[in-house]
Amino acid sequence: MEPAEIIQHSGGAIGAAWLMIALPLVGAAILLLGGRRTDRFGHLLGVLMAVASFAVAALSFVQLLGLAPGERRRGIELYDFVPGLAKVGLLVDPLSISFCLLITGVGSLIHIYSIGYMAHDPNRRRFFAYLNLFVAAMLLLVLADNYVALFVGWEGVGLASYLLIGFWQHKPSAATAAKKAFIVNRVGDFGLLIGLFTIFATFHTLAFNDVFANASKASSGTLTAIGLLLLVGACGKSAQLPLQSWLLDAMEGPTPVSALIHAATMVTAGVYLIVRSGPIYQGAETAQLVVTIVGVATLLAGAIIGTAKDDIKKALAGSTMSQIGYMVLAAGIGPAGYAFAIAHLITHGFFKADMFLGAGSVMHAMNDEVDMRKYGALRKVMPVTFATFAIGYLAIIGFPLLSGYFTKDGIIETVMEHNAVLGWLAVLGAGITGFYMSRLVFMTFFGAKRWEPTAHPHESPAVMTWPLVILSVGAIGLGAFLVLGNRFMTFLAPAVGAPEEMPSFHPFSLTGLATLALVAVGAVFAWFRYGAAEVPAVAPRGSFLTTFARRDLYGDALNEALFMRPGQWLTRLAVFFDNRGVDGLVNGLAAGIGGTSGRLRRIQTGFVRSYALSIFLGAAILAGAWLVVGNL
Amino acid sequence: MNGTIEAPTIEYALLAPMLVVFGAAIVGVLVEAFAPRYLRSAIHLPLTLLSLAGAFALAVWQALKGVPTKPAAMGAVAVDGPALFIWGTILVLAFVSVLLIKDEEHFVGSAAALPGSAEEEQSLVERAAHTEVYPLLLFAVGGMLLFPAANDLLVAFVALEVMSLPLYLLCGLARRRRLLSQEAAVKYFLLGAFSSAFFLYGTALLYGYAGSVDLAKINLALGSVGGQDTLLYIGAAMLGVGLLFKIGAAPFQAWKPDVYQGSPTPITALMASGTLVAAFGALLRVFWVGLGGLDWDWRPVFYGVAILTMVVGAILAITQTDIKRMLAYSSIAHGGFLLVGVIATGSAAQNTAALSGLLFYLVAYGFTTVGAFAVVTMVRDAGGEAWHLSRWAGLGKRSPLLAGTFAFFLLAFAGIPLTSGFFGKYAVFQAAVSGGALPLVIVGVVASAVAAFFYVRVIVLMFFSDPAADGPSVVLPSRGTAAVVGIAALATVVLGVFPQPLLDLAHSAAQSLFVR
Amino acid sequence: MTTHYLVLSALLFAIGGVGVLVRRNAIVVFMCVELMLNACNLAFVTFARQNGNLDGQLIAFFVMIVAAAEVVIGLAIIVTIFRTRRSASVDDASLLKY
Repeated sequence: MEPAEIIQHSGGAIGAAWLMIALPLVGAAILLLGGRRTDRFGHLLGVLMAVASFAVAALSFVQLLGLAPGERRRGIELYDFVPGLAKVGLLVDPLSISFCLLITGVGSLIHIYSIGYMAHDPNRRRFFAYLNLFVAAMLLLVLADNYVALFVGWEGVGLASYLLIGFWQHKPSAATAAKKAFIVNRVGDFGLLIGLFTIFATFHTLAFNDVFANASKASSGTLTAIGLLLLVGACGKSAQLPLQSWLLDAMEGPTPVSALIHAATMVTAGVYLIVRSGPIYQGAETAQLVVTIVGVATLLAGAIIGTAKDDIKKALAGSTMSQIGYMVLAAGIGPAGYAFAIAHLITHGFFKADMFLGAGSVMHAMNDEVDMRKYGALRKVMPVTFATFAIGYLAIIGFPLLSGYFTKDGIIETVMEHNAVLGWLAVLGAGITGFYMSRLVFMTFFGAKRWEPTAHPHESPAVMTWPLVILSVGAIGLGAFLVLGNRFMTFLAPAVGAPEEMPSFHPFSLTGLATLALVAVGAVFAWFRYGAAEVPAVAPRGSFLTTFARRDLYGDALNEALFMRPGQWLTRLAVFFDNRGVDGLVNGLAAGIGGTSGRLRRIQTGFVRSYALSIFLGAAILAGAWLVVGNL
Repeated sequence: MNGTIEAPTIEYALLAPMLVVFGAAIVGVLVEAFAPRYLRSAIHLPLTLLSLAGAFALAVWQALKGVPTKPAAMGAVAVDGPALFIWGTILVLAFVSVLLIKDEEHFVGSAAALPGSAEEEQSLVERAAHTEVYPLLLFAVGGMLLFPAANDLLVAFVALEVMSLPLYLLCGLARRRRLLSQEAAVKYFLLGAFSSAFFLYGTALLYGYAGSVDLAKINLALGSVGGQDTLLYIGAAMLGVGLLFKIGAAPFQAWKPDVYQGSPTPITALMASGTLVAAFGALLRVFWVGLGGLDWDWRPVFYGVAILTMVVGAILAITQTDIKRMLAYSSIAHGGFLLVGVIATGSAAQNTAALSGLLFYLVAYGFTTVGAFAVVTMVRDAGGEAWHLSRWAGLGKRSPLLAGTFAFFLLAFAGIPLTSGFFGKYAVFQAAVSGGALPLVIVGVVASAVAAFFYVRVIVLMFFSDPAADGPSVVLPSRGTAAVVGIAALATVVLGVFPQPLLDLAHSAAQSLFVR
Repeated sequence: MTTHYLVLSALLFAIGGVGVLVRRNAIVVFMCVELMLNACNLAFVTFARQNGNLDGQLIAFFVMIVAAAEVVIGLAIIVTIFRTRRSASVDDASLLKY
């Protein structure tokens, strides 16, 4: 089934979809410009804007459901900047509205949670301003009907992410992490930008509608090039290999940020880009293959990193990488995988946000301690956090009938039909997930108390636990709701297309059973290592493999050896030539202009008679020129 | 010549906007003569604002009723599409500039008193005020309205003087830095009179050439009169001197920085916006209508003038350390960009495109420049407005909103997309490219890039430098000043984001070109 | 025949122009500007004669009136600056520069 036509729309909630972006943007502007005056109500305003945006998204969703499936792609002309120059509009279709609901829904919950989490931070208002800015930019990214506006949103979320990772600038590690994220993302953005240039050179437009309509006419070589360049962008934003290294460091940011930006929403932008650009990838098999390989490699790498981390947030970050790897893998398959990729993205948004916020709740209780070796036995003191976290945990390892079970197994089975090698690797990844997630839960909530003497854990306030409860409800039921009866696939089909034959979900297929078995093995192994056994307070040296995983698979070392050192040499070389050549030229030019200016302004002597002379001479020159030109 | 002189017919309705302004100015003089001192300000301000608003309404009404196709007042004044558009622009800009005027803050209490003398002390004690500012300003605005509509050179000369003479006086009335203000007045006056003598001599020579000062008749004569080309060329050049002086085109730009710096800032705002618009209107009319048949001759000359103006404006602005002088050089550079549009003549469609681009540019630039000068009035220290750029360091940290607005105006001057300045430049340069003036556009773009450097320099200074310990304070703006900044910022945003409506309006105003 | 008058007018204009450039006293500078205007008037009247219409003569009257207005304004400004600086030299008024 091919994607439906885009119909121009006006009126109703969909017609007002720009409000979704405008409201949080206004919120951010008020909070940033208002300064200290808005300190008192800043957090409430931020929450209000996020919730209002969610309301618009929900109303638009309802209105969209009221339309016939074939008419659910609505284009909204927003702004026509002089006909023929540039045109900006929004595209509300099943794909973008799914993202909108996720971003504003989970975003609102995280806003609410942050009221409690950031209660003691003097800069809480600024935090909410950045969160609002992020929501606005992310919504622009998914609602744009052309690549330019998408890119603006793309850079906007990058900026918000940078600001939020470095929110606690007083910590050098946070400042460094922010810079690292910024730089690594620039690499990806550069790829995306070149991809956009290539698109423009090929199609002479950047509007989705025109590009996709003509995609089949372009040569497959061009499409492959575009696809790979877009993939570079997606890798940067979604922390896929080889641009994954920033995500683990990004955990320096406040935990709600990790939940919202670095788990639930922003890091999924790459998946969105690949799915949205489907018509391009469908003409470029090589690009699709590369996408699936990147996905599989990342899902394994992330899982392995997750097994070795003692920092609760970094373990979760590894898991995020891994889960996004699943999504990218599914997105690389084509229309058959799109629905599962997005469905997993949504359920992941819920259960991962749930677990991140749960981790935040634990840290809140443990004086911001992140080392799991200093946790243990927290299930009794923090019952709500434990219960909700456990639900998220069961969902992510694919415990039957919870969210992750449906969406992740959906991906694995689809991949298995597509390519058995990739499929079995995905199953292996699921097994490792079972191990490291169980390890995390056992080290945190079970076993003996290994608390620091100063720690007095307590349950978090209601403003923090209620979002956890709501998110865990999503983690329980959303998967079944979306996947059973192909509900989500049918809904999404008008936007991204769907295979001719809808897949049917076998709860206990061979693959499903194998996955479950492997997950169970992983979990049991984890129980014996970390649940039943004593957890040493200092991490044992471990084997080569452990070190390998702890050092993020030597990702940073690799970066250093492959890019940083040669980069430094290259920079030195460039600086050398720059100083001698280019800079000499530019500086010379600037100095020349400046010097000319400095000399010329001496002509302006301040004497009225010299001005009169310039007029007199000017008149003579003018008359002379006229006579010369006229008599030619 | 049979001994009887026929009474001229005058279309009073067509000239109504101008007459309202002049009438209000005369009433203002009477108020000065008869109303008690304490009442004058209270009468002047509403009178001035109402007359400007009324004149604007009349101009709009005229435009809605239909643009006349023949010159009015026996061929002396042409109220056509471009004239009405320019009138509307000048009236709005004048209205906004008047809002900036708070006589007790910007204008001297007693201009005749020596600075530092007992008389000045006394005038301060008495809270004396030169409320003549308002009628003078109205006379100047009346002249600005007449100048671009003048369809013969005599009327143009009279309008030029009616516009300039009150401005000479107004320049000398600044409350602070009296010496600079007086110097600005003297310089502007002497140079202005000097240049208008050139204009008049040019008029005389063209009269000798064509036997008439009527622009249409001069244009007719271009084809038929032979053997007197020298008269024609020198006459046209002299006319050009007078007009280019008012625009501030190089090499006639020298007065601009000095006068802009010394004058009271609200008057600078009016000169930088209203006078520039009026002078460009007159330049276009004289050269497109009166000397339209000669464009092969004047285009190369203006080509050189435009290049020189852009280069001088952009380069000299770099080393300026005074905010008002910098804005003056920026205004010179913008005059050069506008001249690029004046040259872009060709077929009728080409002329329409160039003219509508120019009209848009004038509106966009007028608003932005008034806004920028309004911001200048608000940054003060003990000695009055803080003009030196070093005093503006770190302003962004103290008053982010004001500094942000000013930065926005500067970006509009630089022509960044999504500001009105971008589209003005775009329209003019595009017209110039299709008019075959590509080299000129390249120079324009390079000059814009150089100019962008010093705009950005000010922004960097405001936001990334540490504020001086005894830096200037930002006064709480009066309602008028706040309104001016708000209106200017709004216009700059709206024209940058939704330029189409105004562009359509400019296009329809330019459709009929100038009546002959 | 009328050419002589035109030459005279051009000479007067040039003398006025050069006078503006070389004289320091603001009043004299201003008088030179007036001389230029009067040179224009001479040219207008001559051309009126040459062209056989009255426009030029009429214009001369307009110019006189404008010149008179200019004198009023000009003297006011020059007298003010003279009172402040005790000098009518235009070269002394050179604070605004560069």
